Amino acid sequence: MNFYEHTLIARQDTSPSQIKQLQEKYSKIIESNKGNILKFESWGLMHLSYLIKKNKKGNYIHFKIEGNGKTIEELEKSEKIDKNLLRYLTVKVKKLDLETDYFKKNEDKDKK
Amino acid sequence: MKKRNLKKKNTQNNFSKLSVFQNQKFKFKKKCPLSGKGAPVIDYKNIKLLKKYISENGKILPSRITSVSQKKQRDLSLSIKRARNLALI
Repeated sequence: MNFYEHTLIARQDTSPSQIKQLQEKYSKIIESNKGNILKFESWGLMHLSYLIKKNKKGNYIHFKIEGNGKTIEELEKSEKIDKNLLRYLTVKVKKLDLETDYFKKNEDKDKK
Repeated sequence: MKKRNLKKKNTQNNFSKLSVFQNQKFKFKKKCPLSGKGAPVIDYKNIKLLKKYISENGKILPSRITSVSQKKQRDLSLSIKRARNLALI
């Protein structure tokens, strides 16, 4: 079993209920292919540093997954077809640090 | 009188040169800021760190300017490219 970090960028005009649907859809795919979700993070609406398909902002969703290469294959297969998504990135990691959230801190500072 | 003045000038000049030399030596002997104990972890999500090693135009700064070690520079460039793909930088 390997550890993966997986991030998705959804379109800016997706409603929060749609984002939940996306999350549930992909978590089902992961769990049906012998994977485990160790942590889920939603970074929220963030500015993109450049335009992607005429979108200025994007909804970021982040998974920390334990699974095989096959689970990742199945995930990316269904993500390629999905029109609500702009980008996705999977990174294989030796160790997962489940404590540090780089983007939660930023949000708190912005609110203050 | 003239001789004394000359001597004084010479000594001052020497001191100024010495100080300049020492500063340069210190500059060259900088250690890598990313290796060693208590160094920050290089990660594509840690944008604050990555932005230090990027020029204003978004280019990756060479290690001879930032004095990052070779190994860490490779990690840095990889994580910067990942962050670019996610449009974080």
